[in-house]
Amino acid sequence: MSTVTSPASVDRELAAIVGDGNVKRTDFEINGVVPAAVVYPSSAEEVGAILHLANDRELVVAPAGGLTKQQIGCVPERIDILLSTTRLNKVEEYDPGDLTIAVQAGMPFAEMQRQLGEHQQWVPCDAASLEHATVGGLLATGAAGPLKSTFGHMRDFCIGIQFVTADGKVVKGGGRVVKNVAGYDLMKLLTGSYGSLAVITRANFKVFPRPRQTRTFACSFHSLDEALQFRTRLFQSPLTPMCMEIVSPGASEYLSNQGTVRDPDHYSPEQPISLPAVEWQIVLRATGSDNILARYTRELGSAVTRTLEGAEEEQFWEWICHFEQSVLARHQNAMVLYTHLAIQNVGPALQALQRVAPDYNLIPAAVGRAATGNLVLALMPLSVDPPSAMQYANCVSALRGMLPPGSSAEVAHCPKEAKPHFDVWGTTPTDVKMMRAVKRAIDPKNILNRGRFIV
Amino acid sequence: MSETAFEPGVPSPHMHDPHLHPPANAAKDAPSWELLSTCVHCGLCLNHCPTYKVLSNEMDSPRGRIYQVLQVNEGKMPLGETFVQHIDRCLGCVACEIACPSGVKYGRIVERARAQIEQGYKRPLIQRVLRNFFYNKVIPNFRTLSFVAKLMRFYQRSGMQTLVRKSGLLKLMGVADLDKLSPQIDKEFFFSEIGKVFPAIGAKRGKVAFVAGCINNVAFSHLNRATVNVLTQNGIEVHIPEGQGCCGALHAHAGLREEARALARHNINIFLGADYDAIVTNAAGCGSNMKEYDDLLENDPAYLGRAKEFKAKMKDVTEYLAGIGLVAPKRKIGQRVAYQDPCHLANAQRIRTQPRELLAAIGCELVELPHSDQCCGSAGVYNVAQNELSMKILEKKMEDVTSVSSDMLATANVGCMIQLRAGVQQRGLTLPVKHVMELLDEAYGGN
Amino acid sequence: MDSSIIRQLRKIAGKEAVLDRPEELMLYEYDAGVDKHRPGAVVFAQSTQQVSQVMKLASDKKIPVVPRGAGTGLSGGAIARREAIVLSLARMNKILEIDVPNQRAVVQPGVVNLELSNATTKFGYYYAPDPSSQKACTIGGNVAENSGGPHTLALGVTVNHVTGLEVVLPDGKVIELGGKAQDSTGLDLTGFFVGSEGTMGVVTRITVKLTKLPEHVTTLLAIYNTVEDAANTVVAITQSGVTPAALEMLDGWMVRCVEANVHAGYPEDAAAVLLIELEGMRETVNEQAEAVSAVCMQQKAREVRHAKDEKQRQLLWLGRKTAFGAVGRVSPSYYTQDGVIPRTKVPYTLAEIERISKHYGLIIGNVFHAGDGNLHPLILFDSRDPKQTENSRKAAKEIMACCLKFGGSITGEHGVGLEKMGLMTAMFTEDDLEVMVRLRNAFNPESILNPQKMIPDLHFCREITGPLPKAKFEPVAGLPV
Repeated sequence: MSTVTSPASVDRELAAIVGDGNVKRTDFEINGVVPAAVVYPSSAEEVGAILHLANDRELVVAPAGGLTKQQIGCVPERIDILLSTTRLNKVEEYDPGDLTIAVQAGMPFAEMQRQLGEHQQWVPCDAASLEHATVGGLLATGAAGPLKSTFGHMRDFCIGIQFVTADGKVVKGGGRVVKNVAGYDLMKLLTGSYGSLAVITRANFKVFPRPRQTRTFACSFHSLDEALQFRTRLFQSPLTPMCMEIVSPGASEYLSNQGTVRDPDHYSPEQPISLPAVEWQIVLRATGSDNILARYTRELGSAVTRTLEGAEEEQFWEWICHFEQSVLARHQNAMVLYTHLAIQNVGPALQALQRVAPDYNLIPAAVGRAATGNLVLALMPLSVDPPSAMQYANCVSALRGMLPPGSSAEVAHCPKEAKPHFDVWGTTPTDVKMMRAVKRAIDPKNILNRGRFIV
Repeated sequence: MSETAFEPGVPSPHMHDPHLHPPANAAKDAPSWELLSTCVHCGLCLNHCPTYKVLSNEMDSPRGRIYQVLQVNEGKMPLGETFVQHIDRCLGCVACEIACPSGVKYGRIVERARAQIEQGYKRPLIQRVLRNFFYNKVIPNFRTLSFVAKLMRFYQRSGMQTLVRKSGLLKLMGVADLDKLSPQIDKEFFFSEIGKVFPAIGAKRGKVAFVAGCINNVAFSHLNRATVNVLTQNGIEVHIPEGQGCCGALHAHAGLREEARALARHNINIFLGADYDAIVTNAAGCGSNMKEYDDLLENDPAYLGRAKEFKAKMKDVTEYLAGIGLVAPKRKIGQRVAYQDPCHLANAQRIRTQPRELLAAIGCELVELPHSDQCCGSAGVYNVAQNELSMKILEKKMEDVTSVSSDMLATANVGCMIQLRAGVQQRGLTLPVKHVMELLDEAYGGN
Repeated sequence: MDSSIIRQLRKIAGKEAVLDRPEELMLYEYDAGVDKHRPGAVVFAQSTQQVSQVMKLASDKKIPVVPRGAGTGLSGGAIARREAIVLSLARMNKILEIDVPNQRAVVQPGVVNLELSNATTKFGYYYAPDPSSQKACTIGGNVAENSGGPHTLALGVTVNHVTGLEVVLPDGKVIELGGKAQDSTGLDLTGFFVGSEGTMGVVTRITVKLTKLPEHVTTLLAIYNTVEDAANTVVAITQSGVTPAALEMLDGWMVRCVEANVHAGYPEDAAAVLLIELEGMRETVNEQAEAVSAVCMQQKAREVRHAKDEKQRQLLWLGRKTAFGAVGRVSPSYYTQDGVIPRTKVPYTLAEIERISKHYGLIIGNVFHAGDGNLHPLILFDSRDPKQTENSRKAAKEIMACCLKFGGSITGEHGVGLEKMGLMTAMFTEDDLEVMVRLRNAFNPESILNPQKMIPDLHFCREITGPLPKAKFEPVAGLPV
């Protein structure tokens, strides 16, 4: 376990910026690295002053929100300052008539959603752990859940952004209106940049009317092919479900009440309750009036094996969103990948997962957006056979090797010991040299999340 | 900041200021500022222009041509070779007028620009000789036309054409395409029918004067006879007034406005001589030009009133027949027909539905041709004068033709028929190309 | 331009593909906007390789290059500064692939927007962004400007529909950004690139999403006796929980202009109309149509008409989409504005525009994407009258100041280009712009591509533009100032 101690002088300078009580020690680890200090600024200007100082001294800064996704990425060499945005937690402006909201980056997403909910509005994002995850963190990680099928992700709602560059400049892009092409689209650049370019301090979103009524239809199939054929028929039909998830046979058991707490690394499959474990599922969530939902029931017909409504339905989607967390709660050594695939590559990717996993003594499970190619792939080790670092590395490389060209798959979670043995981020169709040039342009000393992200 | 002191939101006039720059290349028939200033250079016309679609350059787009005319008027661009080349390349299909939200009268602008060229630019000698022979000797004078046609007929029938074609001489001379585009000269010309009256068959529903055209007389006499038959079968008494001449369309398009005016006055005298319900033509180009006689004669007070009267009576035969409604045909044509809109019908006269209605009425199954309103590249004598470009435009048209499945290609203008037949032949297709009137004639039992 | 450069350009692109005579270059000095400047040469590229070679040559010789599509832009994005080479992509106009199973199409930049939809409707798909110039504008140009359109209210603008790009950098290097997948690992440079107005690279291949054609579409025309009622309806509709596919507003003056052009049945005596389109599953559309009609009537609409058939629906939209040009029928010159305000400020802004119109004695027509708060006031003037020309400029500035005062933007879809460059300092701080310049320099370090566009030269801009005029606002009840 490596820790870095910041020189007392830096602590003093940080305290001068944010106040004594807002510079703290922590035992929170990021892939085994404990940050030397945590600072809690209360304004963009304070963030600017902190970064200015860090840039001068070449201190490595890790921006942080609700700490729900900090383990993603490579093992950092060191972290001098964990810059927490949690004190930046206010709604700055919200006019329901405009369908826009401006919030500070450290606000927990669920809190913003609650305020929007009072006016039957929402930002349609259903990523995991929204009670803790902050608006800034969700933007930085480009997080999304099943709603991505229809609404896209944070990049598509964020209409304005304020951030602080590595050298301490407080900068904004976009604005508070839903359509705006003045200046470069910095919102797109920062969404999914994993804190490597700047510290996000505020974001403006366009918001949407909340659907008033939904119903969920689960359809089961004996094979992946059948499930995908069903998907094709859906694409060709007039139906426009809000969510369209594909669930692999192995994933079903993580989409249920886990019951008693068990040894996390003890793998023993739960007895399948209602579904045999060989079934693939396509789960649809539809929204609209009784009339419209009735039409779904009619047109889907016998394909539907289960219809969910009300609390039961909410619970089910909660499980879908937290599939990764459920897997990790049971198997701390599991490996999780996020894929980015062309629609037709969903099938080949899932086949690859099913084929590769047994070769490395891993058990596969997958849940994901069948309509957009964003899957969460989980590979779980058998407890009887503790995996070696190389086993993960080889498995990832075999899996990636089987993905069709143009696909990318980043490892979102695996034991930190394995990370140095392979490329966590993997290949991507986007020019990586260009990404690095962009990074250098706004963080020339590479102080932000050094060594953690692809750039 | 560099050379221009930039100010935000400084509008500069889109078009020139007539008070500051008196027209430097003022010609009698040059397009006026009022005509030009309606163009706000939004560019919505570009993709509707067949030449822009092939060449993708601004000089060969409607917006670009208007801009060039402006520059010439202002004296910023010479009335020279470049200008002439780009104005010559315009098909005059006026598809851009359909696309134009500002209501720019592009057809009028380009005809005037051509007049400006004729009046202010000296073409190379060979062009002048050929143009003079064709426009001033052949077309307006039916006797010369008849003579030239007979020569061509001899060439086509004597075996000389086959011989020449086989010899490869045409390819050597670079006119192989032109040969394909020359109309097949008829055995019997239509001239013999001029001056006759054809009585209505059945209950008489109207009385019309028929414009026999020029080329139609020698190469499409069959079509003319078919048209007359369809009209009489529909209870129309058809007069083919003696002394009628060329409508002047080719002259107006070529910028020979004085010559066009002379022909217009002549035809007004002839056709307004008796009290006809309508003056009908089966040639879209003639019809659209004759509907513009008032524009041509706008500065001729003696004729302007009569030109308007003439215009009111001028009808394309499809327009006229659809207007009065068809008498039930003797038989139904149960074939799948793809209809190509002639530009001078669809764009210039906005006649799109009528020919389709007629085809449907005789039992044709209409197959919608993609881009049916885009020019085939015929455009009067364009396929001869701008052969290379015309063939490229035809190529695009044939791609659309082959993309649908039909038994037959129908259109409503002879120029288009010649061009489409060349296209069909080039692709080795067996698709017949017919005029709507020929199909109607078949439905009424022919003659 | 130096004849050796012309020679080299001809060697790259072919003899016919380079223009250098003044009478040809004149034709590339304009676009659909207001600024003009003659380029030094025009070259038509026909392949990525040619684009790359042209860029390499230009970089070596330090000659600026301005990419151009159809020249339908309204902000001067395709206008040359200095003796630039205009790089026309109009001949790169092939649809390379229509990949129905992946719901993607791959096109060259010169493909005309509408032609892509025309080519894909037979598969049940279309390309959703529909700028009003879609009959003529190119997808490459749309990418550069991040174009919008009426139907982007529900479906998003160009950036929401582009998943992959092939880009030629100023030094001639060809890079890939994204692909057919919705997104990919790493920085979203595809999203960042869209809307960069030709200042970062030349797009040579574009992968776009295809959208499923809706099962049912209905268009409503709500007719009002006052502009205020129409404006209030816009807010009421969005608050009612319905997101129409499009929600457009035309004031009475524009209605008359448009009707003269298309004869679609727009009521010529109305003070304002809303054109509302609903699309989706049949049941959804029917229910929404009922709900929206009710909201309109509550907000004092005189009448709500349903387009009686597809033909009338197309005509109504044709009228809307050709509205700018239709103004050419009544005025020799007009100045199109493109400002954005929060939806709830629509009534106040329209009142303010009315005031500005009266103050300067100029007709200002309003046609805009009301659902997005994206205004397009059209200021009519006669360019032969210097006073009017001057006033139109002042009026435009005041309208922009008004948009900014209400927390809006100086451009919603037309881009900054040359036209709005001076206004950028009113919207962004020097730091904001400096960071944008740094990011641009990562792609285009020597400003070879589209120089002096979008971001003003920070040291000079304020001296030239001067401060924005203080708009005089009448206090309006309920308006936070």
